[in-house]
Amino acid sequence: MSVELNDTLPLIDFDQELNIDQLLSPINTGQLYNSLEALLDADLFVTNLSGNCLFGNKLEQETSMMPVRADMEVVAHLGTTSDDQEKINAAVKLIELLLHGSARYLMASSLHFQAVKEDYEKLQEKHNALQKSEAKYRDLAENLEQRVEEQVKTIENRQFQLYQAEKMASVGQLAAGVAHEINNPMGFIKSNLTTAQTYVDDISEIISLTNNNSSIEKIQACLKDKDIEFVLEDFQVLLKESTEGAERVSNIVKDLKGFSNIDRSENEIIDINEVIQSVCNVALPEISKTAELILQFSDLPPVECKPAHIGQTVLNMLLNASKAIKEQGKITLSTEHRNSQIYITVEDNGDGIPPDVLPRIFDPFFTTRTVGEGTGLGLSVSRDIIKSHGGDINVESTQGVGTRFEITLPGSKQS
Amino acid sequence: MADYDEDAKKMTLKLVYYGPALSGKTTNLVSLHDLLSPELKGEMMVLETQNDRTLFFDMLPLGVTAPSGLLIKLKLFTVPGQVAHDSTRKAVLSRADGVVFVADSQTNQSINNAESFENLAENISRVGLDVESLPLVIQFNKRDMKAITTEEEINMRWEKTPWPVLFASALQKRGVIETFKELLCRVYRHVDQDVSLSSIHGLTEEMFVNKALGE
Repeated sequence: MSVELNDTLPLIDFDQELNIDQLLSPINTGQLYNSLEALLDADLFVTNLSGNCLFGNKLEQETSMMPVRADMEVVAHLGTTSDDQEKINAAVKLIELLLHGSARYLMASSLHFQAVKEDYEKLQEKHNALQKSEAKYRDLAENLEQRVEEQVKTIENRQFQLYQAEKMASVGQLAAGVAHEINNPMGFIKSNLTTAQTYVDDISEIISLTNNNSSIEKIQACLKDKDIEFVLEDFQVLLKESTEGAERVSNIVKDLKGFSNIDRSENEIIDINEVIQSVCNVALPEISKTAELILQFSDLPPVECKPAHIGQTVLNMLLNASKAIKEQGKITLSTEHRNSQIYITVEDNGDGIPPDVLPRIFDPFFTTRTVGEGTGLGLSVSRDIIKSHGGDINVESTQGVGTRFEITLPGSKQS
Repeated sequence: MADYDEDAKKMTLKLVYYGPALSGKTTNLVSLHDLLSPELKGEMMVLETQNDRTLFFDMLPLGVTAPSGLLIKLKLFTVPGQVAHDSTRKAVLSRADGVVFVADSQTNQSINNAESFENLAENISRVGLDVESLPLVIQFNKRDMKAITTEEEINMRWEKTPWPVLFASALQKRGVIETFKELLCRVYRHVDQDVSLSSIHGLTEEMFVNKALGE
């Protein structure tokens, strides 16, 4: 009688207590019986602890039952017709040896099964984790292009915001000067209008006299009293002055508008000198507190550029120069067209830049000014602007002598 | 926890010899087999490969009976020490009632010892046992070798742990019984809490240890 392995494996736990049926399961009891019969030279049978016959032929006659042990406990009994005690002991020993070997086999195979199963489960887990990460990477690869596009868009947005912030910062520095520039003409326009009002009153008074058929003498006395000739003459002057004042205000507003056009930054074909002039108009009140501004324009060919951006760069140069000057100094701004290149030079006779600072002035967020006074972006943004126009920006500086920024732009850029 | 069958008046305690490869776990069991003469002693089960490395486990069964008639089987197992057999180690360790960690005293083995002990602590919690309460004894084996870490240094390193450290030379059959005895005491106290060995079964700690050792 032999039992299929599947019926006995796996044990639930490799170290569980084994009963006699389990212990006999891997053993061919038919062959065992034959061997025992040959050994004992007599009939035999083996029973379990309940007295049921496990193999062999249960004998009718009374026989002495010999205990068979496994794992230190009696698990079965051997009954035989033999009376040779030595042979009987040998038969019991043989059965015990086989049961021991059987236990060894069952335990080892169960443990092996358990270990393999667990290793397999671990592998399965790793396999699943790998599949997951593979799917993740495949997904990533598929979406890479789209993600890069999104990132580029985000970066472009941020850069635009940065430009905007820097523009606001530099325009902000002009606010006081610009306000003064607007306030000044507004002041005399207002005062002129008040005077004009009294002139209008005078004229109405005379007109009402003529309408009332007053005497010539009375009218003439009134004309003389009001000094009507002066009134008319001065009225003209007042109107002319006021018109000029209004013109000045509208020019300043126009120049300022040039700066606010960064978001509408389309390329235009323009004369750079006009852009610079407009910038100087706006910046002059601020600069003239400490320095004299000398403009040396040469004729320039019209070029294609973003005027608001170029204007912002020049403004940055001018404001930096004026900050480098402590007392009455000099800023020279010149333009030149040479070898198909346009050169814009801003030179001051201020403090100069220390050698250890010079290599870093174009780094974003690098500033020597106290927190709140400078964004650290002015020169960084300026360089970006010039580079995006295909140009370059260079600096030379000597401490105590001054600083010279030179902007180069391609002179004949075709669209 | 102890496998306790009240109806059959039988309890099986599983004691596991853990440790790095070639630290002498099987040698401990073989020495105990030779040295001990307990009430009951079964055949030792050895599953070695050709290189004398344990592939699955070794098992030495011992038996003790309480005055109440309760049969207590002590099954001493070894685990395979090689790193690759971790699943087998974990399976052997599950349901353990006590552990002897057999470390190799040789100075060049300290990293292996540490890694194996870490692995033991990990597996103890993975099989649902509690490293704080599980009876555990540390044995530094191979004291007969030349290049070994001194006892002072070992004691110093382990003094902050709750576990007793014993020194042995399993090949020369020294320190093996002492280690086993220390484990038996701890296992008795642990099991006594659950099964009331002394009050119900009339088995004191001293009787238990003496019967198991055959003294």
